[in-house]
Order: sequence, then structure tokens, then C-alpha cells
Amino acid sequence: MADESGKIDTAAEAAHGAGSQDAPVRPLIDLTSRPTARTYLREAWRRREFAIVVPAQDLRAQNMDTTLGQLWHLVNPALLVGVYFLVFGVIIDTRRGVDNFLGFLIVGVVLFHLTQRVTLEASTSITQNMGLIRSIQFPRILLPAASVNGQTAAFVPALALAILAVLATGELPTLRWLVLPAVLVAQFSFNFGTALLVARIGTTMPDLRQILPHLFRLLFYGSGVIFSVDAFVQSTAWRRAFALNPLYDVITCARWCLLGEPVDPWVVAGLVMWCVLMPAIGFAVFHRSEQRLGA
Amino acid sequence: MSDPAVTVEVRDAHVSYRVFEEPATGLKQGFARGRMRRLYRMIPAVQGVTLDLREHETLGLIGPNGAGKSTLLAAMTGLLPLRSGSIRGRSRPSLLGVSSVLRPALSGRRNILIGGLALGFTRAEVERRMDEIIDFAGLRADIDRPMRTYSSGMRARLRFAIATARIPEILLIDEALTVGDEEFRRLAAERIDDVRSASGSVVLVTHNMNEIRRFCDRVVWLDEGRIRAVGDPAEIVDSYLAAPSPNSR
Repeated sequence: MADESGKIDTAAEAAHGAGSQDAPVRPLIDLTSRPTARTYLREAWRRREFAIVVPAQDLRAQNMDTTLGQLWHLVNPALLVGVYFLVFGVIIDTRRGVDNFLGFLIVGVVLFHLTQRVTLEASTSITQNMGLIRSIQFPRILLPAASVNGQTAAFVPALALAILAVLATGELPTLRWLVLPAVLVAQFSFNFGTALLVARIGTTMPDLRQILPHLFRLLFYGSGVIFSVDAFVQSTAWRRAFALNPLYDVITCARWCLLGEPVDPWVVAGLVMWCVLMPAIGFAVFHRSEQRLGA
Repeated sequence: MSDPAVTVEVRDAHVSYRVFEEPATGLKQGFARGRMRRLYRMIPAVQGVTLDLREHETLGLIGPNGAGKSTLLAAMTGLLPLRSGSIRGRSRPSLLGVSSVLRPALSGRRNILIGGLALGFTRAEVERRMDEIIDFAGLRADIDRPMRTYSSGMRARLRFAIATARIPEILLIDEALTVGDEEFRRLAAERIDDVRSASGSVVLVTHNMNEIRRFCDRVVWLDEGRIRAVGDPAEIVDSYLAAPSPNSR
């Protein structure tokens, strides 16, 4: 017993000493009420390490049983970019109203892929962690946050390869490239909000996991990933309607940065709106039903 | 003002949860009914429980299956919302159960890291305590194997070791002792004593009356979500075992 006593170090213990009778009485806190958004976020931030270390562990575990192992995190995006390079750069030499179609395509595919991966992963972040949820009380927002962090980290090699591919297609860096980080931050913010929303919906409607891939296929065509919306859509009103699609906004802005493709002010406004609105919606929905997630 | 020695105060707590029902009807009837929604109903699991948990106390919670024991513990940790009433405490209790594993695909060592971070440790703190936790769980040889390859006893030891890596002020144990061997039970008993001597409280849910007699200072007999009796372990256990209805056992 004596060797165990050294470990007694709860906050409570520090506050009023082991079993002391004349210790100040601490007020009882409500154990069942929902914390305010502020307290909740502060607590989540205090434990942010969870949302960084856990996805890192999961990413490592993912390819443990494969021959290439950790190399897959680099090989996989290389194959993604490589296949498009082969099909659209070598086999079908097409331009479709774009100067650098290959660069255009690769930027679109890689960024679209990131949001898709984050969303799919986050949609099961609660259901896949029921064991953890049922045994430990912690801010559940850390689970979708871990999905976002993990998939974003896994995306970094893909982004690096995409930029190399863009350089290989003959683009030279310009001052506009400096704006790219801002676009990526906006996308991260949008992804985070979406992750919270789908994580919440996925708990009451696990069917979401089946629906999402189809939704993303639809979005894929609606985001101008493999064709230029401007070259197909003539009406200004319709072009502006595309600005409501957050992924179209992200991709178009990133193409402006890297390739000098034209960007409508409405698209920029759309991106700004989504990167603020989506986290707000996602958090509101997630926080409101936080307590029901374990049931 | 409440009694200063109270660590957890439960007042007229009601907890219900939804269960989904698989209707015996097919698609056709579903359409005929005009709704395809999943059917569910509310199960009132805890119906007006009031109790105080005190410093240095180990409280036993007994009752037949479905009496609401586990639900009450879950509500005390804040894992399930109350429908009405209140539960207040000095700090958030730690709950130990057997049913769930953390991450089956990951090794015991990684699970210690994940569990520790979820409990609010920093990574450095977990790393520092890693060896101690592994030794307490008695899993030195198996710690780098995936947790899914563990026996239920090994899982229970690991979870117990993680959850009590920092001695909690209020420890709730849900059947976690039943899966371990005698050595594990001895370690668990030590941890329970650690909590109590640090002026904390322990709630023990078990069907094993020997454990109740061995560990508990006071026993609550729960039946159909309500308290049927409270008192001295020996007395309550005797009347519980003597209860006529097989369903009361």
C-alpha cells in the first residue's frame, strides 16, 4: 500500500490534503447538465493532444499489415495523381477550354479528395468509438476533430505531389501562390464544420455512411473537378449559383492561386461564408446533442 | 447546505433511454402505416433514486438484471442525461466497466496512450506512467499485441489500470472485478482502499455477494429503477438472497 500512495495526486487531493477534516468544503458541481459552449470548448482545447496523437496512431496502425507499410501514405496520393496524369495527360490529350488542363485537374482532384476523406471518416467517428465513449467522459468533439486532423495530415503528401505536378506541367510560382495557405485554412475550417455535422447525423442515422459516397460523386460533377464550369455554363446567374457549392469555391480559389485561372468575386464570397458558417452550424448541432451520443 | 462529507448527491433521479424496436411488419405494412421511421420506445431505467455518497465510503449497488444499476452509474458519470432530478458531485466520477474495449485493433500500449489522453492526461504524463500502468495490469509480456487478442480478464485488467492511473476521487465499478483472477482482485482491492483513504468514494455494482460483503460499507438494493432497501451489507444481502421472486435475484 505504501508504494501506491505516491500516485494519489488528483486535483482534489492537491486542493485539500489527504482526508483532512478541516479542509474547506468544495461546492458540489452538477454532473449531468450540459456545459456551456465556452466551458466545453475550453475543456476540449485543454485535451487537444488527444485529437492529434490518436489519429497519428490510427494512421500508423492502418497500414501495419501491408508490405509497403507507412510508405502507403505517400504512394497512395502518388497513385491518385498518377492515374489522372496518365489518363488525361498521356492517353486523352484534352484541354476543354483550360490552358493547363492537367494542373487544373490535379488541383481539383486532390482538394476534392481531402474533403471527401475527412467527411467519410468523421461520419463514423462517434459510432467507431463507442467503447471509448461509453467508458470515459470527455468532450466528444475530440473524435470528429481527430478525424479531421488525421485525414488532413494524410493529405499533406498529396498536396506536395500536386504542387510538384503543377510545376511539372510548366507553371512557375507567382505571388498568388502565397494566397494558397489562406484557401487551405478556409477549407480546413469548412471541413471541420462538416465533420461535426456528419458525426452527429451518423450516430442517429448510420445510413449516412451509405449515402455519402453517392452524394460526393454528385458533388464531384457539380464542383467542376474534371471540367471548367465557366466553359460549360454561359449564364452569369447560373455561374453564381455554383458559388453556393463550397467545394467549387475551394477548388476555384486554389486554381486561381496556382494556375491563374479566373475567379468570380462571388466564389470568394462563397468560400468566406462557408468557412465561417459551417463550423458554427456543425458546432451548434454537435454540442446540442453531445450527451445523447453515448446512449 | 448539504453535508460536507457528501461526495455525490443524487436527488430524485429519473433516467430513460430509447431502444429501437424491429417491427414484426414488413415493407408493405410500413407503407400502409404511412411511415417508415424506425420505431422506438422509452425505457424508464431509473425512476426516482435519491442517495448520498460519502467520503471514505464504498457503496454496493445490487439488484436483478434490468434494475437500473448500470444506468444509474452511467448517469452519475454524465454519460446519460437525466430526464428529471439532479446529480451533483465533487468531481466527475470515473466509470469502470467490462463491456467495452477502447480500440481493439491497437496494441495495449497504444490503448493506454489513447485512454490516458481521453482521461485528460498529457502525452508526457502517460509516457511517464506507462511502465507503472503496464505492471499494474500485469501485461508486461503482451502489451504490444493488439487488444482484440486479449482475454476478457486481460482487457479488464488493462482498463482498470488505465482508469485508475490517476486515483479518482469518485470511482464507479460496474462488474469490472468479476472477470479478473484472484491476483487482479487483490490489486483492485488495493485501489479501492487508495480511493477511500484519499477521502474518496467507491460505488461497486456486482452480482457477486461475496464482493459486496468484502468491500462495501453500505448497500443499496435497486429494483425496477427504484431503491428497495438501503443499509448494512450483511442484512441487505441476506434479505436480497431470500427474496421470493426469481426475478428479484
